[in-house]
Amino acid sequence: MKKIIHIISTLTLIGVVIGAILSFVNNWATPLIELNKKKETEKAVYLVNPLGKKNEKVKANGEIFKVFDEADNLLGYSFVCEGNGFQGKIRIMVGVDKNLEKIISYEVLEQSETPGLGTKILDDPFKKQFNNLFAIPRIEWIKGKAPSKPNEVQTITGATISSVALVNIINSGLENMRKLKEKNLL
Amino acid sequence: MELFIIFFSAALINNFVLSYFLGICPFIGVSNKTSSALSMGMATTFVMVITSIVSWLLWNLILVPFHIEYLQIPSFILVIASLVQFVEMVIKKVSQPLYRALGIFLPLITTNCAILGLALLASMRNYSLIESLVFGFGAGVGFTLALFIMSGIREELELTDVPLPFRGAPITLITAGLLALAFMGFAGMI
Amino acid sequence: MNKKSYSYEFVKGIWEINPIFKQILGMCPTLAVTVSVINGIAMALATTFVLVFSSFLISLIRKLIPNQVRIAAYIIIIASFVTITDLVMKAKFPEMSKSLGPFIPLIVVNCIILGRAEAFASKNNILKSLLDALGNGLGFLIGLILISSIRELLGSSSILGFKVLPNSFDPLIVMILPAGAFITFGLLMGFFNSLSLRKKESEKEKLIKKYSDKLIKSSNELVEN
Repeated sequence: MKKIIHIISTLTLIGVVIGAILSFVNNWATPLIELNKKKETEKAVYLVNPLGKKNEKVKANGEIFKVFDEADNLLGYSFVCEGNGFQGKIRIMVGVDKNLEKIISYEVLEQSETPGLGTKILDDPFKKQFNNLFAIPRIEWIKGKAPSKPNEVQTITGATISSVALVNIINSGLENMRKLKEKNLL
Repeated sequence: MELFIIFFSAALINNFVLSYFLGICPFIGVSNKTSSALSMGMATTFVMVITSIVSWLLWNLILVPFHIEYLQIPSFILVIASLVQFVEMVIKKVSQPLYRALGIFLPLITTNCAILGLALLASMRNYSLIESLVFGFGAGVGFTLALFIMSGIREELELTDVPLPFRGAPITLITAGLLALAFMGFAGMI
Repeated sequence: MNKKSYSYEFVKGIWEINPIFKQILGMCPTLAVTVSVINGIAMALATTFVLVFSSFLISLIRKLIPNQVRIAAYIIIIASFVTITDLVMKAKFPEMSKSLGPFIPLIVVNCIILGRAEAFASKNNILKSLLDALGNGLGFLIGLILISSIRELLGSSSILGFKVLPNSFDPLIVMILPAGAFITFGLLMGFFNSLSLRKKESEKEKLIKKYSDKLIKSSNELVEN
């Protein structure tokens, strides 16, 4: 009996001390972590809308930001959208102009594509195709040939699935944005 | 359809052993005989399915509502350890043959990082209860599959003339590498 | 070298009982994070941090913990230090914590830590346990750097992010895929095994030579007498 009390009291003591230390560290870390997240999103908002100086979060569902220039003129929108890639979720921030007609740029926030192949969606030759890309009625993709239409991009050799997934994610995100605009929610 | 994708992704494409490197210790340790590999795989699948349910309940009903997410790691590992102990006791009472088949593998599962990895991944991806159940089952099936194939290859390897320094773990690792390459072929399925 | 000395407790972790190549512990992080050197270093430092602090604490309170529940107590202590590491990394090094992903929490089940706690820290004094933890951490770091430099060099033709190989070298993408991890690790382990086998072999020969010399000498003496 004495032994059981000894066991229980030791374990409880360890649990209490450890719990106290953890909650202390957590209280210190949580605001910093949130700050990091905010900074990261903020950075991405301006990366995909490089002329922007100010932003404002739209009150609709999801992470959508209005981007303004210095004189508070609306330049466009930055919005987060996600979908399934080759191996897992791809989460991106997309910048569009204010009429939702042209893609300005995109920035990958999260991905788990094959290193060296699918991860080329992070790099320039593929990414540059989206700079000022027409997105009416939607973005089209083409395999193995140089794009001929203003709304076309060429897929990455060896990573067709990742590139098509990215195009689809942007298209569905854009569609969602247009719906919101029709309802005057933007 | 979504559930189907989760299952195949966990079992084949993102196989826990061959692409997430979770549960390598039992993969190297218990893969020299097909019979014990199957038992180990079954025991792990069993614990994985239960863990996915219990950890979902713990995460969504206790940790998140009370804002103590930072206790996730200690609480998950404790729950898994006691769960394994509990499962062992239940199996011992309910079915002696099953206990004889799985018994010695159960304590090993506590230190199998695949179980904790499963619980953490499921909570990170915000799966619903059904989804995390399917995820757990898929991961278990994938683990069993990898272990079973590996043990089949190793039984053949016993008969071959492997250079002395490569016997045991090194040749197993290299074989696992080739197996991982083969499993990459599944990636085009989705 | 005196087996009981303090310096031995530190040095042994580097080669003699190297956690990766000799004890074959902690393989999950070894294989998963060694895509690039910087990840390998970060993982090894995080693991060493947890290893040192949990060894210290366990050694400090080793006489208070009842024997029956010692494993449970160790696991709680280790899990808490891992949580602290995770929180600190998220707060101070967000980029790093993103690329190491779910592998920081998995330090809990890294057998190196529980293994050292059970095999060493629970039986030895604080200073020895600290030295043992540091040595093992260093051995882990060396192993991770070795594997990750091979993989980064061949897989992305760079080291620590700097391009080293010329553009004419086509990166072997397989090296940064899971398959490359297994194969690199397997080949390295085989290489080290063959080294220690050769050493053992030459020691055996030396021993045989020594005794055969003695035998000849003594038989010569016998003949002379």
